[in-house]
Amino acid sequence: MDVLNPMTYDAEEDQLRDRTKYSQMDKHLIPVEFQQQPVSTGTTIVAVEYDGGVIIGADTRTSSGTFVMNRFTDKLTQLTDRIFCLRSGSAADTQAIAQVVTYQLDFLSAEMNEPPLVRIAANCVRRMIYQYRDDFLAGMIVAGWDKKLGGQVYSCPLGGLLVRQPVTLGGSGSTYIWGYLDNNYRPNMTQQECYDFVLKGITLAITRDGSSGGCARIAIINKDGVERIDVLGNDLPKVFDL
Amino acid sequence: MGDDILSYNGGVALAMKGKECIAIACDKRYGVQNRTIATNFTKIFQYSDHCFVSFCGLATDVQTVSERLKFRTNLYELREQRKLKPNVLYNMLTNLLYERRFGPYFVFALVVGLDPKTGETFIYDSDNIGAVSDNVNLATVGTASEYIFGLGELFFKPNMNADELFEATSQALLNGVDRDSASGWGAVVYVIEKDKITVRELKGRQD
Repeated sequence: MDVLNPMTYDAEEDQLRDRTKYSQMDKHLIPVEFQQQPVSTGTTIVAVEYDGGVIIGADTRTSSGTFVMNRFTDKLTQLTDRIFCLRSGSAADTQAIAQVVTYQLDFLSAEMNEPPLVRIAANCVRRMIYQYRDDFLAGMIVAGWDKKLGGQVYSCPLGGLLVRQPVTLGGSGSTYIWGYLDNNYRPNMTQQECYDFVLKGITLAITRDGSSGGCARIAIINKDGVERIDVLGNDLPKVFDL
Repeated sequence: MGDDILSYNGGVALAMKGKECIAIACDKRYGVQNRTIATNFTKIFQYSDHCFVSFCGLATDVQTVSERLKFRTNLYELREQRKLKPNVLYNMLTNLLYERRFGPYFVFALVVGLDPKTGETFIYDSDNIGAVSDNVNLATVGTASEYIFGLGELFFKPNMNADELFEATSQALLNGVDRDSASGWGAVVYVIEKDKITVRELKGRQD
């Protein structure tokens, strides 16, 4: 049992640290001020389906160890007009995946002459994660709207799984709000109820998780388009004062 | 968060001098690596009418060292029949820390004090094995100390009065902890003057 390093946070963060230790000697050769931790979007991401679309949300903190590199990151990355992905894990890996998949979907939509399905986008992401599963540290959620099946949320976690879920969470902050989800999520909520659910969940996770923080960025995706809302710090809902 | 023992619990403190007044401030977070457990863990302790010490680092050592120092200062006051002066307190603390030179406590310390008769101000800081410092204008300890130092240097002016000092200290602390995920979640600021001590609790970002 490692007293100095107990298993208190999620798998992505833990593996990320271990993986990027190039050599055990680095600890002794490089002065501690220069030993940079890898940049991770240790994060909280939430996605919910409702009748007519999806609502997705994330916090805005990118950290490198304990240093906050970016206080207002945008973790809602657009893949196509109506499909977004939410990124958690290594910032570099997820950005690379999003870039490649955006290109692949752009090409596909030119070939098929219609916007790609959300399931196809999720599969592109999942295929990349699975193919490089030993190298990547990426947990992503792909959510959007298409003509065939309406609003959909697909979860693509670490090893390369693909599963459609009505609601899902991701990132290190998600561990603090699974209970909140189990207690407060009901199927067939209205758009406003889903929005409140997502915002409250992110706020609760920001309060407890050190790797999540900043503001909340939310997007509502339906057939009419994408509405982006940034909820700044003092506008976040009030939660119990610890 | 890495396996750095000094950032296991996180926390930060800052002290700044003014004209015949001193401010010392700390954050209120108690967490274990990523997880925040409580937001009422202040790290400032009073040892005499105008002497305060702040400890930052491993939380268990914060509690232990503050209590062990209290034990020694209590005995001093009983034997000498007078209250401690800041430089004496500082000496006692560095001695306590150096006793454990080869198995040290994991806390960095800030000692601040004011002489109520002359208005002379003292700020000293110490590493975890009792290295002594000069009497400085500005000192910080903790996981966000570098970020707060930069802001503190920016906001510091010599001979500030108590209100300006409070503003400078609290702005430096609140904005510096925004760049550190192991500190924050509120702050408490003590402004110590010759005739009174004002304690203010700041809300701040709860993230």
